[in-house]
Amino acid sequence: MPALASRSFVDVHDIHADVWHAHALSHAALPVIATGDATLDAQLPGGGWPIGALIEIVQPPGVHSEWRLLLPALAQSGHGPVVLVGAPHLPFAPALAAQGLAAQRLLWVRTPVAAARLWACEQALRCADVNAVLAWLPQARSDQLRRLQMAATEYRKLLFVMRPAQSQADASPAALRLQLQPQTATQHTDAADIADGLELQLLKRRGPPLDQSVYLQARAGPMKLLMAAAHALDCSTARA
Amino acid sequence: MHWIAVQRAPEAGGGSGVVAGDAPALVDVDQALDWWALQFTPLVARVEGSLVLEVSGSERLFGGRAALLQRLFESDAPTVTLRHAQGATSLLALARLWAQTPDASLNALPLQALAAARVHLPTLMRLGCSNWGQLRALPRAGLARRFGAGLVDALDRAYGVRPELYPWLTLPDVFDAPLELSAAVESAPALLFGARRLLAQLLVWLRARQRGVLALELLWELDARRSNALHVDAHHLGSGQGRLELRTAQATQDMQHLQRLLGEQLAQVILPAPVLYLRLRSLQTQTLAGESHSLLPEDQRQGDSLHQMLERLGARLGPEHILCVQPQADHRPEAMQTWSPWKPQPAVQASAGEMSEQAALLPTWLLELPQPLAVQGQCPQYHGPLTLLAGPQRLESGWLEATVLRDYFIARSEHAGLVWIYRERLDQNPHWYLHGLYA
Repeated sequence: MPALASRSFVDVHDIHADVWHAHALSHAALPVIATGDATLDAQLPGGGWPIGALIEIVQPPGVHSEWRLLLPALAQSGHGPVVLVGAPHLPFAPALAAQGLAAQRLLWVRTPVAAARLWACEQALRCADVNAVLAWLPQARSDQLRRLQMAATEYRKLLFVMRPAQSQADASPAALRLQLQPQTATQHTDAADIADGLELQLLKRRGPPLDQSVYLQARAGPMKLLMAAAHALDCSTARA
Repeated sequence: MHWIAVQRAPEAGGGSGVVAGDAPALVDVDQALDWWALQFTPLVARVEGSLVLEVSGSERLFGGRAALLQRLFESDAPTVTLRHAQGATSLLALARLWAQTPDASLNALPLQALAAARVHLPTLMRLGCSNWGQLRALPRAGLARRFGAGLVDALDRAYGVRPELYPWLTLPDVFDAPLELSAAVESAPALLFGARRLLAQLLVWLRARQRGVLALELLWELDARRSNALHVDAHHLGSGQGRLELRTAQATQDMQHLQRLLGEQLAQVILPAPVLYLRLRSLQTQTLAGESHSLLPEDQRQGDSLHQMLERLGARLGPEHILCVQPQADHRPEAMQTWSPWKPQPAVQASAGEMSEQAALLPTWLLELPQPLAVQGQCPQYHGPLTLLAGPQRLESGWLEATVLRDYFIARSEHAGLVWIYRERLDQNPHWYLHGLYA
């Protein structure tokens, strides 16, 4: 019997790229772009954000941490425009430029009408020059998202859709779904990290479900230095 | 000399002679045919409802006579069915076309096929002349005395003894085509059907001139019998006429794109009275440079170009909703950037070099209006109490307009992450404001 079993065993990768073992991450058929964070890359099928699939980011109210998560990937996504559809606040171009996303790449479609946002999103996906589309679609329904997912697949675009926390229970056609929230003080490792950590839960991915959260490290560069300096100053005053 | 005579085939069903298909019907088929013929040779003339083209001068350009004929009637053929005949002179080609004998020899052609001989046909028949050869055999001087010099001239030209000159057709410099609608149109979007036919005509003109359109206008005439024909709004000036101007960022021959833009614009027009006449006029055109295509399939990108997408977005949502950013040199965060409507010509790129050191500490989201924060005890609140982490960063600027004196802090909220808040300085009872979010 064991001999028979070993003979009838078929390598799943030979069947189709969309077939994978339930305990392993999918071998992505899609091209990916690195997220800029090694821990997160390791948990994503293919090792990065999939290009040509809908990526849904769920955030609690008042939290808008998407730039932090997406900037490293957007900075290296190319030189074409990055279309923002219905951003909740003013994107602050000098800060984005300092983190690698040039100001002239930004294109903001500002409309409060939900249907117009969806339409603009689809038009942007159809454009050959656009590199990535970031959309804030609080009211979108599942079938509308599916339409966007199909457009992203057809035109091979990086598409991130930001949704509020209450949509977490809804079904979603997204290939990758994450929940974002600032790291709370209980799971601290480093003082700078508590202040500026980001907790990420993978709600859906092409692979086994992930129970524990992924923690994104504090941002690098001048911000980290400033945080560390502030913390050190804090400690020294407390000691005094 | 090699002449081709072309004529529209008589229609079977008495329709407009247009081949059924996806292509919208042309407004003026004869004019479109003239323009189409001018692509191949500058010597095109209209003789009694038929077109004659002299192609010997342009044969080499198209790679020989056979290649030219193939292009004429197969690859670049217009949407109407055509009949054609050839010959060494235009009258010969025409006679072969009219007599429907493409290979008949010169002498055997019937006299009906010679326009100048038609009026004298009964007399000539009684003389025993029925074809060109017999007419040419008659004494020349007597023929001229009896039937006039015109017939002898025509015969000379048909035999290639005298040169043939016609008033040659030329392309107009500006496209301007009217269209009378078959029924009064009440709603603006329905004008698109008429406009599609005009656009198809425009495409023929653009192809013949090898130009792309940058701006065009659609004019319509309102039914003057209606009292509100003199209505005034953005598209109607009160003179019983309406006008819509369409501009594109890049010269284009893509009628699909123009049609979509026109559709979006017409959807916003309200007609005060029914429309009877349409007119399309080109305002600005540009010579269209050839496009280079890649040999490799993976280099061919899917989708439409950026300016097409933005024009379509602007046409539906309004251009004020499509924004791009301009960095400004200022110390006040709210004045560091201006979001302005997208324009076809990108502005000069500002150098971001010297700012970047400090800009890395700025938040990625900025609140349009600073949000006042509630204070409990000494501690400002935003989704829970805020812990000040770094600061103050002191800002004093804008003394020309409204003086800004602020102390900025980076603070942390338990639930919302890092935020950027400030306190008004020189204020007896300092208020706290939220101005940015570190996304």
